[in-house]
Amino acid sequence: MSLLPLRKEISRGAISIFAGIAVWEILARALLENELLIPPPSSVARTFWNLASSGQLNKHFAATATEFFYGFSAACMVGVLLGYLMGMHRWFDEIMDPWMAALYSIPVIALVPMIIIWFGIGIFSKIVVVFKITLVAIILNTAAGIKNLDPVWLELAQSMRLSSWQTTYKIRLPGALPFIITGMRLGVGRALLAVVVAELMASNAGLGYLLRESSETWDSPKLFVTVILLAVIGLTSFNLIKRFEQRMAPWRQSAEWSADS
Amino acid sequence: MTEEQRNLVSILLRVGSVLTGLLGWHYLAVAVIKDPGILVSPVEVVSKAYEMMVTTGELYPHLFASSIIFFYGFVLAVLVGVPLGFVMALSPLVRDYVNPWMTTLYTAPRIAFAPILLLWFGIGAGSKVAIVFLGCVFPVLINSYYGMRVVNREYVELARSYRLDRWALFGKILLPASVPFILAGVRLAIGRGLTGVAIAEWFGATEGLGYLIFFAGQTLNVPTLFVGVAVFAALGIIGFEIVRRVEKFATPWRGQTQGS
Repeated sequence: MSLLPLRKEISRGAISIFAGIAVWEILARALLENELLIPPPSSVARTFWNLASSGQLNKHFAATATEFFYGFSAACMVGVLLGYLMGMHRWFDEIMDPWMAALYSIPVIALVPMIIIWFGIGIFSKIVVVFKITLVAIILNTAAGIKNLDPVWLELAQSMRLSSWQTTYKIRLPGALPFIITGMRLGVGRALLAVVVAELMASNAGLGYLLRESSETWDSPKLFVTVILLAVIGLTSFNLIKRFEQRMAPWRQSAEWSADS
Repeated sequence: MTEEQRNLVSILLRVGSVLTGLLGWHYLAVAVIKDPGILVSPVEVVSKAYEMMVTTGELYPHLFASSIIFFYGFVLAVLVGVPLGFVMALSPLVRDYVNPWMTTLYTAPRIAFAPILLLWFGIGAGSKVAIVFLGCVFPVLINSYYGMRVVNREYVELARSYRLDRWALFGKILLPASVPFILAGVRLAIGRGLTGVAIAEWFGATEGLGYLIFFAGQTLNVPTLFVGVAVFAALGIIGFEIVRRVEKFATPWRGQTQGS
């Protein structure tokens, strides 16, 4: 593909976004008398500036990011380990399988009240929520990656007389990497949803808290600021991981289409 | 080991794992924690489930309310998602204009839109259906789009050489070829729709499974909470199974279904 169609796609996208915002501004100003239902973009932007310059936005964003970071990195470490064991040993896979299936089929949201009862309303319960959501996706994908390894690679390892530690480190884990990253990508989207839910339900900081506070006080511009911010975070993390995934596994083209809930 | 023995060991391991887990849970609840406000034994959960399903039947109105919301949101999502996906696949112009909005809505955490939808549609059924709709529509739309894009070129060339007109091409080639993809999208949509129901019923609902769970959570009614969670899990599994059956029936030419 030459550059031209790509540029056309981008310019059309930009036109679509700007036209949408302009129509929104005009309609909101012309048809609605108060800003409750649909605040015009200009007042959303003003509120954003106010919240950002007063440091409020920063505080809530930092709280959510911290929770996300701890939960996500813990899940990556534990998930890869458990997934590796499940992929290597059939008996372990069979022991874990019913529990994984149960955990996987329960909607994220349904577990949140329970986790809050157990771990309190502080930061720890949110870390647990993120951990749980990400963990299942990473375990299942890591196990699939280890199981679906090309047998030729293992034969290669054997003929080179690699020790079992070297086989794991040099063959199995790199081979499973694309799967592991897919698990992480699925985990990011679900974890973002779950952390916001947990914060909405019971917390004193974070973007979910901001969402609840603004909707309870009928502060529509603030509500829209939060929603747009969350959308931008979702979009950015999705694209970053997708790019990372493409770099790590350029042969997996269609991965973006199987995004999970 | 023969194949039969292997299967027997596999079943034993699974059953043993579940039983050990349940026993450990029971022991933890009865002997270690001893606080029914935090954890109750699985025996109590089962007896609560029996009570809610057989003795009092209080589960059914909730189940019914949630099913209605799920049904409307889901059907609406399929009715909108499939045609829009097709249009996007067939017209690059539409695709380029819709794409940025779609990607933004799709990648944002859905919960964020719930307060806004509540503001627009009120606390009645409308906002709940809208939340479920928003959850279901994107997997269906994206899969319909993708299914139509990746139709095998040879099929299209065959249709050309038979001089099929546009509508016949669509009805006989493009549509059947994209059915497996649409169904894969539907399968994803079920899980997202159930989450959507839970989110929707949490805001200003007076009945429904989501309401049951949140109310139980807030009143520390742990047995009911567990029952609600288990019902959600069961619904997810049942929905998944139904789509798998439909998939087998609707696309008999595919040997095995692909996992997503």
